[in-house]
Amino acid sequence: MQLAATGDTWGIPGPAFLLIYFGAALVIAIAALVHRRILFAGDRAARVDQLGPQQIALLNGGEQLALYAALGGLRAAGAIASAPDKTLCQSGPMPGGVTPLDTAVYNAAGRRIRAREVRDDQWVSAALLQLRDGLEQAGLAVTRAKLRAARLWVLAGLALIALGIARLIDGVQNEKPVGILVVAIVAAIVLTLSLNTRTKIRTRAATKGLSAVRRSHEHLSPRQSPAYATYGAAGAAMGVALFGAASLYTMDPAFAAEAEIQRISAGGSGIGDSGSSSSCGGSSSSCGGGGGGCGGGGGCGG
Amino acid sequence: MPAPSRPSGVGIGWRPEIAGFVAGLPGLRFAEVVAESVHAHGDLPAGLPALLERGVTVVPHGVRLSLGGAEPVEAARLEHFAAVARRLNAPLVSEHIAFVRAGGVEAGHLLPLPRSHEAVDAVVANVKLVQSALDVPLALEPIAAVFDWPDDELDEAAFLTEILDRTGALLLLDVANVYANARNRGTDPLELLDRLPLDRVAYVHVAGGAEHDGIYHDTHTDAVPPPVLELVTALCERHRPPALMLERDGDYPPAAALREELDAIARAAGYPTVT
Repeated sequence: MQLAATGDTWGIPGPAFLLIYFGAALVIAIAALVHRRILFAGDRAARVDQLGPQQIALLNGGEQLALYAALGGLRAAGAIASAPDKTLCQSGPMPGGVTPLDTAVYNAAGRRIRAREVRDDQWVSAALLQLRDGLEQAGLAVTRAKLRAARLWVLAGLALIALGIARLIDGVQNEKPVGILVVAIVAAIVLTLSLNTRTKIRTRAATKGLSAVRRSHEHLSPRQSPAYATYGAAGAAMGVALFGAASLYTMDPAFAAEAEIQRISAGGSGIGDSGSSSSCGGSSSSCGGGGGGCGGGGGCGG
Repeated sequence: MPAPSRPSGVGIGWRPEIAGFVAGLPGLRFAEVVAESVHAHGDLPAGLPALLERGVTVVPHGVRLSLGGAEPVEAARLEHFAAVARRLNAPLVSEHIAFVRAGGVEAGHLLPLPRSHEAVDAVVANVKLVQSALDVPLALEPIAAVFDWPDDELDEAAFLTEILDRTGALLLLDVANVYANARNRGTDPLELLDRLPLDRVAYVHVAGGAEHDGIYHDTHTDAVPPPVLELVTALCERHRPPALMLERDGDYPPAAALREELDAIARAAGYPTVT
């Protein structure tokens, strides 16, 4: 084995540097993982089975799905309708016992807002924020501070990439072989990207509770073509919350299309329905959802 | 698991669309499920296992055996029917006195038989074949017919009674059919009730219907009309069947309306409510 020759970049032989480099990457990966497990644990005693549909939806698919759950509930109650120009409108009185998000969406519909832009409405986004705050306090959603803390590990990853690139530049200038170093840098980039992806906001405690709720509400899965009129507005909203936007297409395809509902599937655990069964098929008419409103796309009036 | 009891009280036709509603009926003791919708060996439809665990009696109701067909019941269908009965631990099963295919052509509907001695022979042969494959009793359901065949040799009561007598099968009486047939033929439904072997009734179907162009259709998608409930009461005054159930197959109303339908049947029959 050779001693460090004067020719070594930075006075460190290649194999030794690579060993340190990969070792550092491993340490960062493990430390970030452990840190996340602690940050995202949540409150084990927190209950998911007593949450409302919008809270379930927020945990299951984020703010967009929470909004869809509200739209589904209001639509099933006959409170809102859609128009061919993609705007929402009020088609009936506001139902009793609604949430602040329902109220905000209902009022936004009264202003003939485009369905796609409801989320940007200030009252709607305030209600969504409020919904999330409650879940954070309950230990079911990861707080924004913790999400930021988890993301700090990205800095360590970036430092590792920078170090690798600096060595690469000097190594090339020194006319040293850099093949494995390039591989190491690519690995560092992959690691850093994976440290930066975190779309789910629910804690582990919430994930566990959610699958139990999904099992106990299997009858709302679009695969069963649920009778939304029978299950009512709360059932419709819960169906969207647990099984994704496909439920809206099963319930009221015309409304879902006009409201430009994106077919985001819920869960991320593959349980959310693919949407293939979203037609209002055959013998069991499950369309209409009992709501009044816009047959054939009308309903919003001029 | 102990064998579940025979259907008793007020029940409902279990359908996947309303599985959550059925699961929420606290007093439910019996439900009926379309036999062809249940896998003989795979997973049970979601929601059914929970009902069975609760001790609810689930009766498989066949719709595709074609007992009235001139040809023998298909072996594969019969095997499935019997397997589903075992799978659900059912105390009895039911099918229709009707044919759904002839000469290899599927009608897609339950079609009425001409009430001839020849037809009785064909039904009896098929029923005996089915009974030999089953471990539990079979109940037979006459169907609603909006027309009569011109060469009928027997009337409805004689036709049914002969089939039941020769096979020892139980009767699944559909009160809505009795009402529909009588109304469309201009006859008295009570006359038919008086001539049927009511002590052989295993359970009773109650369903809604609607009138179109002067003909009453047993739609299963409308509310149960008052005359059908009155017929339930008249039936129970003669011989109260052990169980009655609501048959709803689509256009499901809000839960409150569905509960009211069940309660109305319970009131008409004098059974405790299940809601």
